[in-house]
Amino acid sequence: MGKVLIVDDATFMRATIRLMLERNGFEVVGEAENGAVGVAMYKQCQPDIVTMDITMPEMSGTEALKAIMAYDTKAKVIMVSAMGQEVMVREAVMNGAKSFIVKPFKEEQVVQTLRKVLSV
Amino acid sequence: MSSHFSNEPMLEIFIHETSQLVEKLEQSILDSEKASCYTLPAINEIFRIMHTIKGSSSMMMFNNLAALAHAMEDLFFYLREEKPKDVDCNSLSDLVFEGVDFIKLEIIKIKNGEEADGNAALLINRIRHYLLSLKKEDGKLDLSPAEKGAEVEKQHYYISQDKPQVQVPQNHYHAVVYFEDGCEMENIRAYTIIHNLKDLTSEYVYYPEDIIENDESVQIIREKGFEIYLQTECSYQEMNDFFMKTVFLKDLKLEKMERTDEPAWAFRKAQKAGEEAYKERSKASVETALHREEKESLSTGHPSIISVNVQKLDKLMDLVGEMVIAEAMVTQNPDLVGLQLDNFQKAARQLRKITSELQDTVMSIRMVPLVTTFQKMNRIVRDMCKKLDKDVKLEIIGEETEVDKNIIEHISDPLMHLVRNALDHGIEAQEDRHTKGKPSKGTITLEAKNAGSDVVITVRDDGRGLNKAKILERARENGLLYRPEEEMTESEVFNLIFLPGFSTKEKITEFSGRGVGMDVVTKNIEAVGGTVTVDSKQDCGTTVVLKIPLTLAIIDGMNARVGKSCFTIPTTSVKQSFRPKATDILTDPDHNEMIMVRGQCLPIIRLHKLYNVQTEVRSLTEGIIIMVENNQKTCCIFADELLGQQQVVVKALPNYIKKLRHIRGLAGCTLLGDGSISLILDAAELADYR
Repeated sequence: MGKVLIVDDATFMRATIRLMLERNGFEVVGEAENGAVGVAMYKQCQPDIVTMDITMPEMSGTEALKAIMAYDTKAKVIMVSAMGQEVMVREAVMNGAKSFIVKPFKEEQVVQTLRKVLSV
Repeated sequence: MSSHFSNEPMLEIFIHETSQLVEKLEQSILDSEKASCYTLPAINEIFRIMHTIKGSSSMMMFNNLAALAHAMEDLFFYLREEKPKDVDCNSLSDLVFEGVDFIKLEIIKIKNGEEADGNAALLINRIRHYLLSLKKEDGKLDLSPAEKGAEVEKQHYYISQDKPQVQVPQNHYHAVVYFEDGCEMENIRAYTIIHNLKDLTSEYVYYPEDIIENDESVQIIREKGFEIYLQTECSYQEMNDFFMKTVFLKDLKLEKMERTDEPAWAFRKAQKAGEEAYKERSKASVETALHREEKESLSTGHPSIISVNVQKLDKLMDLVGEMVIAEAMVTQNPDLVGLQLDNFQKAARQLRKITSELQDTVMSIRMVPLVTTFQKMNRIVRDMCKKLDKDVKLEIIGEETEVDKNIIEHISDPLMHLVRNALDHGIEAQEDRHTKGKPSKGTITLEAKNAGSDVVITVRDDGRGLNKAKILERARENGLLYRPEEEMTESEVFNLIFLPGFSTKEKITEFSGRGVGMDVVTKNIEAVGGTVTVDSKQDCGTTVVLKIPLTLAIIDGMNARVGKSCFTIPTTSVKQSFRPKATDILTDPDHNEMIMVRGQCLPIIRLHKLYNVQTEVRSLTEGIIIMVENNQKTCCIFADELLGQQQVVVKALPNYIKKLRHIRGLAGCTLLGDGSISLILDAAELADYR
């Protein structure tokens, strides 16, 4: 267990999350730069867990989450949000997001969140 | 940088991405300004960019950047959600541009390893004020308490209660959940618990109740924990497991109770209706999302792009250059002469084909379209038009033309100078244009096109044109006339403006006119082996043409031999070569040798004398004269004989030679097919050498 798909439109955020996860023994199986690609890659790579940014072009994280949940009801998606996005995070949780992290986050926060959600 | 992870590659990605985003942002604003309205997609894009910058810079602990991006994000969030009418596009653009400039400046500081210490507080305040004024105009501000109330009403759906209340489960629990410090959005985390709880039971109440709408609930949860009363059939162990799954759980107090406080349950009944309505809505949006996803997954065949360090590309280019030479050394090996080697020749042909393909591919990797460089000019034109009160349109043609990455860096500054000059000195004030019968809107055209192994970039304006008399006068004052005035052609006069220390503008303006502009242009362009020429017509405009080689790494060269040494002259600067007649050769009183070519007297440079090379060919009539021209200066180089023309890979002179002393007239060196070294001559420097 520990295959992660990172969905984020910012290269920097993807690289940051990847670095934090790989340092802690997670395997990053894919990176997607928007929701639509994220959904497609989810189907392709079948990751154990997804980190999903909310604000993205093409297809937002919330919509991608819905699409992933519709495809796989057991999908574990963690939202990557920022302060001020409470409403969107709540909507995501209602639509099946397992948890969320808030930018700026620390390495141990990401790792803890993923481990916990994966252990369920 | 006081970041907890000062990872160099991270910083690099951050800088790279942020600068790209800023560029995109600038373009978006410019487009919107041109259309004099901010369209929804544009607002969306700007919002997203600001959001991304906010996120990344807060991760890197660039808090001032994050704060500014946050303020801008808020502004565009409001624009997106409320779509206020009568937004003053101009002042909005000004504001956003100021933000862009701030971000740019900070990025430069970060890039240079300095502290990003800019103070954005003032700007943030102004953005906030602007947002406030928008809200006021819209009448949203006065309404907002009432509206907020309405919203709270609308959002009372968060407590699920589907099952009939008749089936009262047996067990009653009281739980208090504490979250870890600094995990943020505690209210939403609490909501997550409630959301997951729905799977276990529908009977629960919690405190604070308004976990979503009320920001103070965050404080309460932080201080006193999140309290839940619930009824369920689950055992204590099951409930304990359920709560322990909570992410960022610091502490949990879970106790089984005898019976619940009935009144606490009552308040929920009214909220059923609202919840139904919401469910319908969210269902609809899931469906549309799925539709879109279907459509988009079809077009997922997007090109996958990776970014590569330029240094690696430079290295690759170097290696391929070496390989081109090595290939020539193998296939043209002198040991092979006279041998019948059919199979070898076949293999050699294959090698040559692949090598040249490889070379083309590597070259194309380094090619970058001029589009970003050109688009930077939009901003300059916009700012200057505002300051100088001129109305100028920038026309961009052929921005997809590609040039080597190294070259792009060298032409950005010159182009900026040229555009500034055109706008400041070229385009007349609006009234003047009117009296001349020209359209009041001036036009500056930036055009790029491929021409053989060169790229030609033209900067054209329809302004007043160059004033020949004034140029001559100024040249006289500054002693820049290198020939009698009456002998000079019009184009020679115009090209005087590229000489150092020339400026016809009496008044020095903020943008141009320090008298350094034009010769900086020449220097920069010549540094990449290009040329600059200017043409102009009174009252019709001025055209500056930059001719730039596609790449610095490989040039067409003419090889000439002097004694046992070999020299390469860039073919672009070679005008002609010939064997001189004794009658054409003159000597001036200082014993400088000159030659008459078509009525022009040109200096002769003997390479064997200049570089002290032993050779038997000392008489001019026995060797060959190569006439080179660069930047309107012509001279004749004397060598023993021409060896032929070939593409050569340019290598810089090794540092240990450069450090020893500067050798005039050398641009670099190259390896020839037989493995010997050839020095590449710099025609411009040689022409100056008298």
